Amino acid sequence: MIRPGRALAAVIALGLAVSCRPPGVPTVPPPSPPSATTGSSATTGLSDPHAPYDYVGRIGMVVAAHPLAAKAGLDMLKRGGNAVDAAVATAFALNAAEPFASGIGGGGFMLIYRARDRKVTVVNFREKAPAAATPAMFAGLGKAQSEWRLEKGTAVGVPGMLAGWNYALGKYGTKTLAEAAARAIEIAERGFPVSATFSQINKDEYEKLVKNAGEATCYLNGGIPFEPGETFRNPELAATLRRIAAGGIDEFYGGDIARKIVAAVRAKGGGLTLEDLAAYRAVEVEPLRGTYKGADIYTIPPPGTGGLHLLQLLSIAEGWPLKDWGHNSPAAIHHLGEAMRFVFADKERYDADPDFAVLPLVRLLSKDHAREIREKISAVQAAGTYATGPADPVQDRKENTTHVGVIDRDGNIVALTQSINEFFGTGIVPEGTGFLLNDHMADFSTDPKSPNAPNPGRRPVSNMAPVILFKDGTPFLSLGSPGGSRIFPSLAQIVLNVLEFGMSLDAAIEAPRFYTDSADGKARPISVETRIPGAVLQKLEALGNRIALKEAYDKYFGGAQGIMVLQGGKILLGGADSRRDGVGAGY
Amino acid sequence: MRISRWIVLSLMISAALLSAQGAVPMFEPPLLITSAGQSADVSLASTLARKAELAATLAKTATGQDLAGYKTLVLVLGASMKGLGAAGIDTGKEKDRVRGLLAEAKSRNIPVLCLHLGGEQRRGELTDDMIREFLPSAKMAIVVASGDKDGLFARICREKSIVLKTVDKTLDAVEPLRAAFRK
Repeated sequence: MIRPGRALAAVIALGLAVSCRPPGVPTVPPPSPPSATTGSSATTGLSDPHAPYDYVGRIGMVVAAHPLAAKAGLDMLKRGGNAVDAAVATAFALNAAEPFASGIGGGGFMLIYRARDRKVTVVNFREKAPAAATPAMFAGLGKAQSEWRLEKGTAVGVPGMLAGWNYALGKYGTKTLAEAAARAIEIAERGFPVSATFSQINKDEYEKLVKNAGEATCYLNGGIPFEPGETFRNPELAATLRRIAAGGIDEFYGGDIARKIVAAVRAKGGGLTLEDLAAYRAVEVEPLRGTYKGADIYTIPPPGTGGLHLLQLLSIAEGWPLKDWGHNSPAAIHHLGEAMRFVFADKERYDADPDFAVLPLVRLLSKDHAREIREKISAVQAAGTYATGPADPVQDRKENTTHVGVIDRDGNIVALTQSINEFFGTGIVPEGTGFLLNDHMADFSTDPKSPNAPNPGRRPVSNMAPVILFKDGTPFLSLGSPGGSRIFPSLAQIVLNVLEFGMSLDAAIEAPRFYTDSADGKARPISVETRIPGAVLQKLEALGNRIALKEAYDKYFGGAQGIMVLQGGKILLGGADSRRDGVGAGY
Repeated sequence: MRISRWIVLSLMISAALLSAQGAVPMFEPPLLITSAGQSADVSLASTLARKAELAATLAKTATGQDLAGYKTLVLVLGASMKGLGAAGIDTGKEKDRVRGLLAEAKSRNIPVLCLHLGGEQRRGELTDDMIREFLPSAKMAIVVASGDKDGLFARICREKSIVLKTVDKTLDAVEPLRAAFRK
């Protein structure tokens, strides 16, 4: 079931249309007729790639930011793999098909729901700072600071991706790493036509790629960016994945690939060592839990603090009559915007790796704290100041990262968010390996006194927030998004669009978004997609808000993917964000 | 006399047609390449100039003073909030810089060549503002075709008698770029 009007999706449409119907399984019905909330593109706007469209399945569903990756996950489900197997197959495939957003040179978080014992757990494979890291490593660099944080060898954190996928497969999956990597190897070898999204991002990051990967890199086409429709191949990545498939992750963390990573990082001024790579371990941790009007919400804990702040924001919103105010009404945007600013004040003050700092999680997650913030918010005037203590201003302006959602025939669910940070990461490619190294050290503070300052072995704070919602103890909605600091505000809007405004999943994802935050205790403008009417913006300005216009569908606000479970699991809806190349694949 | 008038007229028409097709060199190196909007396309323009074997200098935030010694100003039209952020300037300052640069180029009789390499994805409110304001200062424009699906470049070039060359792909811009310069 493919969203009409998407060229790339159409490439695999025939394959899915056939393969989605295994023997003996009821045929998936066509999408429901359009309604006021779904606006299904089945009959409205076949040429509009943004028209809301819910992918439908009855047995399993995969949502991802590239159709080849979604298909890799779907095929894994149909071969008997469970949700974890399919999530890892999809994640591997994204390294080949959406290499600018994630890959084995990065890290992430996997939120897993195991249906048989109703267990929710988290695999944390966020990158770590190498032993050479120091709290002041990014301080006092002046204009060069950005380059050292984002594009030099010092920007590279110890990659956790393979360790995390391998841990999840070993404990919760049924397939081998080689089986999960197989489709990615095919994609990397055969290539695929690049999308307009790929092309634009490739052009945006051209300078970095030339500087760090060189004009001969596979990430450029004859030394210049790929145009839409041109074929991207990555045989060196295929060879790297083949070695890992044959030899396991020790090939990456201790073998020849490790030596190439270290050489590449050190050649660009970093201090990563073979010992740093050998010492890396993914860890399993308890999820955070919160509620919204009776719905249970599970998400990842810090250092993935996007989940924490999503729960905070929803708890604040819980006390407002949003439905009465109306979707994206001046009152709703003003109140939620103010709530975002107060939550960012908490974020600036407290966010850190919990292995090295004490975070007041109980207080931050409490309904009392939400009420206190709610009481500070005026209906007629923006507060203007939001500081709650020593601040570490949010520096993130990124659009990167990627999210995968999977549900299998047994009702197991995976919400996986992973990244190499900035698009194309550092742009550094270890020689002959075909994969990009992350620049997640940039997620540490530049302030040596910050609880999020770089230190050996410490994980930088992340905005990621994969989430699973339950109603009456039953999974209802799985969700996640890229988008840096916009992740939790965007996810909160999607959740509210579903729970308060009754939208179908993809209508909730495609609906116009807004975002604001505070820095150093001061309000920043409300960024809005231009689909929000001018009259609404005028009223927001009258309430003391500045407005910053973005595009009508702007990937600045992320690229969310989600799965909705209806009728006790008999109907699965997939929603995938048209702000990037998101698609669903169900059967 | 009548015959010679016809010959002169024919020559003028031929020259105009050749010029309109971009076959007659209109510019001289060296080039100063700068951005209007700070998108990464300006770096791409520098690569294209190198492939066209043109002596060029890339100065993303060039000002009028930087024009000394150059015979052509290449203005790469394409706005990027990321690029503006990296350069530490806002849209107002960027527009002021480009206005000043174009005024100085005019006073020095340095012709302007506009490039739009980002295609459809690079278009947007801010880029369009810059196209409308700065393109009329150009003598010629080379545009990746997907960036002119709505005909904005074609319309402005037609109204302002600017030579317009459209190319299918970015790399295809090398040849018209090479042909536009007298070696």
